[in-house]
Amino acid sequence: MAGRGTAGRGIDWVNVALGAFVVAFFIFMLAPILVVVVVSFTSAGYVTFPVPGWSFKWFVNIFAYQPFVNALIVSIEVAVGATVLSCLIGVPACLYLARSRSAWASATMTFLLSPLSMPMIVIGFASLFFLSWLGIGVSFHALLITHTIVCLPYVIRTSAGVYAGLPPAYEEAAAILGANPLRVFWHVTLPLIRPGIMAGSLFSFLTSFDNLPISYFFGSAQTNTLPVVMLSYMENQFDPTIAALSTLQLVMAVVALLVVDRIYGIDKMTVAA
Amino acid sequence: MTIEFTAPKAKPAALLRPWALVVPAVLFLIVFFVIPLVENGVRSFVGSGGNGFTLSRYVLLLTDSFYLRVTAETVLLSAGVTVISILIGYPVAYFLVRRSGRWAGLIIFLLIAPLLTSIIMRTFGWQVLFARRGLVNNLLVDQLGLIDVPLRFSNSPEIAVAALVHVLVPFMVLSIATVLQSIDLRLEESAKILGAGRFRTFWEVTLPLSLDGIGTGAILVFMIANGSFVTLVLLGGGLQTLPLMIYQQFNTTRDFGMASAMSTILLVIAVACLFLQLRLVRRRGG
Repeated sequence: MAGRGTAGRGIDWVNVALGAFVVAFFIFMLAPILVVVVVSFTSAGYVTFPVPGWSFKWFVNIFAYQPFVNALIVSIEVAVGATVLSCLIGVPACLYLARSRSAWASATMTFLLSPLSMPMIVIGFASLFFLSWLGIGVSFHALLITHTIVCLPYVIRTSAGVYAGLPPAYEEAAAILGANPLRVFWHVTLPLIRPGIMAGSLFSFLTSFDNLPISYFFGSAQTNTLPVVMLSYMENQFDPTIAALSTLQLVMAVVALLVVDRIYGIDKMTVAA
Repeated sequence: MTIEFTAPKAKPAALLRPWALVVPAVLFLIVFFVIPLVENGVRSFVGSGGNGFTLSRYVLLLTDSFYLRVTAETVLLSAGVTVISILIGYPVAYFLVRRSGRWAGLIIFLLIAPLLTSIIMRTFGWQVLFARRGLVNNLLVDQLGLIDVPLRFSNSPEIAVAALVHVLVPFMVLSIATVLQSIDLRLEESAKILGAGRFRTFWEVTLPLSLDGIGTGAILVFMIANGSFVTLVLLGGGLQTLPLMIYQQFNTTRDFGMASAMSTILLVIAVACLFLQLRLVRRRGG
């Protein structure tokens, strides 16, 4: 590397200050997360920090509160459903959009990604009225539809990112050798863009699972998602159960990320994201 | 695998991506995303009896001092969070791109890791830190003995601002880092060779060249902050913003026409941000 232009002699105080700032930044970033993890293992009956002793009772407590268990199941079903639906309609769209250079295609891409830029509380509020008018109202299907709106952009962005980086030669070769478009897609394109689809699906799942501003409007005993139940619990109580549940969610997310990383490589994901 | 001896089709890859493939996704969004938002906008103009056209809600929103304050507070809060994110995020992005060396991977991991935690978890974390028996009070009362009675933080908007910055600053860092990475180091070296000190080089070369990254990050952060809701419901500290008002109108007041009008104002701000974002991307030729 050609000359970095640093002072050379003595301690470079500007660099020291910059380094200290970055350390302080990460303390700021990690502190609110780490305290929750620590509090989830507390033996105290209330939220206090530092904790007086350790126990697993708050994790047990999650499963003693039936609304949490029901909501966890609803959340998983919605997140999986919305992700599958997003892939079914999003991946075909990528096949066209990632390779087309027309202004029309880039406008379409912008449109398909636009739900990310809209305030979710507005999407939720507006959808409630529209879906009620359609007769879908407060139901599992309503959750599935509204979550797909905000999951779709993640699937499209990552899949299109990976697909745009692939040379078309593989598909052309298969086509020239006589494979019909469906077989080219199934045997050539799909395996090649799978990392993008997997990464997009992971983001999509996490987005849906963490969504509160949309799910809130479709809450009922049968359709409350986990964040909705957690919010109403937090508005009335302040105990470490929420910490335990959050820690559990974090472990799930990290495991999912590690699995995707192990299979497909994390750098492939961040390129597109 | 069986080999079929059919004549190769004359049209190769072109067959794979006809425009029809985008129809399901586009149709889905038109029906379930665009139409509801338009319908919501229309509802904000429909008279309270269910018929007739009225501008009364917008007149109220734009003239009544209470509602004006809510809109102003929404925009000011987002702007404040954006400015703080730039001030905190820029040095971190600079360190990441220019100084981190083998720590770069760890820094990127630490930036992305919080995105895996739920918004509820992070909000709860701030509550734990600033609870009556939380870390901050324990430090102040027991460890340091600075005060006798635990402080009550429940009415401090500063915590809500800190929590929002915590959620949004990674986006700022990544936006700025992307642009810093693309700056040709030779430009900075030329400036130094020509006699500029490191601060002048930064001020007159590096900073202007990274303005696009700041712009991209700022629009992104402003846009998300503007619609933020969970953080403010739980840590609001007395702040009144449009998303909170929509939540309250829906929950308690049940004035749906008013909630529609507020949603539409929020939506207009979001669309303006999206438009700015697109212009910025286009200017960069990306």
